[in-house]
Amino acid sequence: MSAIPSSGWLYGAIQRGRNRGLGGLYLVVAAFLVLYAVLFPGILSVSGFSKFTQNWFPLALVTMAQALLMLNGGITLAIGPLVSLGAVIAATTMGGALGVPGGILAVALAGLAIGAVIGAIVAHLRLPAIIVTLAGSFIITGVALILLPRPGGFIPDWLSTTLAGHTPVAFLLLVAILLAWKAFLATPLGIGIYAAGDNPIGAFRSGVPVERVKIVAFALSGLLAALAGLFVAAQTGSGDPVIGTPFTLNSIAAAVLGGVGFLGGKGTMRGAICGSLLLSVMINVMFFLGFPPVAQYVAQGLIIVGAVAVPELLKQWRARR
Amino acid sequence: MTETRPLLEARQVFKGFFGNPVLKGVDIALHPGRVHALLGENGAGKSTLINLLSGALQPDSGAILVDGRPVGRFSPAAARAAGIAVVQQELSLTADLSIAENIGLGAFPRRFGLIDYAALQKGVREVCAMVGLTEPVDMPVADLSLGRRQMVEIAKALFRKPRVLILDEPTSSLSAHEAGILARLIGTLRDRGTALLYISHRLNEVQALCAHVTVLKDGGVTADQSLAGIDGEGLVRLMVGRETGDLFPPRPLAAPGATRISVEKFSAGLVREIGFSARAGEIVGIGGLVGQGQEDLLLGLYGAIPARADHAEVSGLPRLPAHVGEANAAGIVYVPADRKHEGLVLPHSIAANLILPSLGRLARRGFRDRAAEAGLIADLARRLTIKGDVARPVQALSGGNQQKVALAKWLPLDPSILLLNDPTRGVDIETKREIYLMLRAFAAEGRLVILASSDTPELVHLCDRVVVLREGRVAARLSGAAISEEAIVGAAMGIHEQGEAA
Repeated sequence: MSAIPSSGWLYGAIQRGRNRGLGGLYLVVAAFLVLYAVLFPGILSVSGFSKFTQNWFPLALVTMAQALLMLNGGITLAIGPLVSLGAVIAATTMGGALGVPGGILAVALAGLAIGAVIGAIVAHLRLPAIIVTLAGSFIITGVALILLPRPGGFIPDWLSTTLAGHTPVAFLLLVAILLAWKAFLATPLGIGIYAAGDNPIGAFRSGVPVERVKIVAFALSGLLAALAGLFVAAQTGSGDPVIGTPFTLNSIAAAVLGGVGFLGGKGTMRGAICGSLLLSVMINVMFFLGFPPVAQYVAQGLIIVGAVAVPELLKQWRARR
Repeated sequence: MTETRPLLEARQVFKGFFGNPVLKGVDIALHPGRVHALLGENGAGKSTLINLLSGALQPDSGAILVDGRPVGRFSPAAARAAGIAVVQQELSLTADLSIAENIGLGAFPRRFGLIDYAALQKGVREVCAMVGLTEPVDMPVADLSLGRRQMVEIAKALFRKPRVLILDEPTSSLSAHEAGILARLIGTLRDRGTALLYISHRLNEVQALCAHVTVLKDGGVTADQSLAGIDGEGLVRLMVGRETGDLFPPRPLAAPGATRISVEKFSAGLVREIGFSARAGEIVGIGGLVGQGQEDLLLGLYGAIPARADHAEVSGLPRLPAHVGEANAAGIVYVPADRKHEGLVLPHSIAANLILPSLGRLARRGFRDRAAEAGLIADLARRLTIKGDVARPVQALSGGNQQKVALAKWLPLDPSILLLNDPTRGVDIETKREIYLMLRAFAAEGRLVILASSDTPELVHLCDRVVVLREGRVAARLSGAAISEEAIVGAAMGIHEQGEAA
């Protein structure tokens, strides 16, 4: 835990406090994991665990990308296209002169830059994020299709084996990303994401650079989505200009499952991560149990509505008593 | 008295919004070691002045000076760097973050770019002790009552170690005990040389705490003087200006007609068990400070919010209207204060707005009757004295003319009771006069007009009777010669309670 500053009692207490209200979610996730392990004991081997976390990893990244913006009072519909673009850039640059490091750098820079531009438009022109990211999603999809009209490109085999082989590299990467997020949340800018999401006027009057916070949030969100695309490219061994499409709505679904509110400032990243794990496990379980795809979709929808409705009903029930 | 150099000063600042001037050349100077009161009625420009002094807004012209030097572009961050802190009326807290993080927000102690939680904890403990906050500082603000949140807000301001502290109605949600802590704290800060600006509607607090007062009225300074030797009545006199002219139509001599509204022990929203009655042909004013239940009284009578009463007769109904449809059917209409959001469809034409409530009545076999609509629109436009094309979008009109449209659209329904919520707010003088004439004409036709207003002269000179609300109860019922600005402002501020409180 070297990324976290030693800060005594207060930091730990606040961190523990953020688990509040998540007990139910933790229990549900644990129950599903146990069910999964009973149904498919293979997960308990290193190789099975690795495969399982590889399936989860891109969803976890895009859920972080989405939750980051929802906590800041925004939303993005450009997640899927950014994943596709990340995959396409990876597949078209890694065969070039700069090789894999150059490709990773290109993907990261593209994600950061596109996110920052969208963020600047939203923050400075005061346009609604849902519209700007919708427009952005069309443009990004178009660019991805120009770069690579058909699935293809080049990903070195060793990269695929490293990231998506029989070792839990993806899981370790996720742990590293989560530690980086915790470090970010321990900066004034990171806390500013919450504050500006919940009470933008109050945050502005308190001296939080609300606009800069928003741009940083969009840039980091773009980075995470593009990196998820790089991983998907490594997983499939090629670039595909529309492979990211389902991630847009799944990222929102996972964040909502994890208790992230739509109005900003409400929810936690750890909840969102749990939400993505839950969604991933549910999809896997239904798939392996042989649910027809239609039933999977319907079940997924019902579970998401239930996840939002149950806490609300509980709250009303408590208020009445 | 020795003159010190002011720490913070505004010189001849002007500020307007969308063409409406709010501050018209205001001067104020805050000196170290002095508690300065800022008084003024609702809408006098107090909040705007605070926003200018704290960098949240930029003046249109005029200057803000810190330590006698004009500042260039002033921002909240620059104000904080200059040692200016504000306790706002609306809270600036983030519900899901802890007390400590809220207090530190925007001014976190850092180490290697990260928040130094150990230093934060130490600093926060200090300021919490000063304001008597004993809750654990890792507790989320969402778990605190409104009064405790206000204390967090004050602690947050102190955490910035201010040289100038601006308190905007800090006691409105505090208990007596908390207000006492705040009063002692203000004394301590003053003795340490902090310059304080104190805004409050509680005149006894102003008298007890403040040494100097600036009074704002309609965006101008009407008094800037020491408070030595001035009592409560004197403060009220400072706040009430003199200017009315022939803005208001004469009151009729005819006696009012039959009782149209009669409620006993009526409660709705903030309103607590009041008795209220009004008769046809009357204009009844509802006065008081902002948010004392005026709007809830109107909405409760309109069936728009849940209300109950021991006995009620409203416009022929033997009870309160259960919902808005029933109120409309009984001839009751409501014109909201927020005409831009609730009263009008801004991008639509004047004609479309005027016709909206009558569409159903004019329709024939379920289809709109364009000819009948056109006739009605022409008639309304003439009665309204709206000049020009009624096809223009209503947002192209001035605020006053918008209000006329919001009022006139109800006329075809031939209402017997009009409930008006602050109809002349942000309206220019000439249109005000036209609206007053309209309202007086309504009353002369035997309708009942109930007018909640934040404009005291309007209550005094237009209304036949005035009911002043304070904290959801009736603070005064005035009629005839007893209606005066002094009586209304005094009742609204609870001046008459001062003896009991002290």
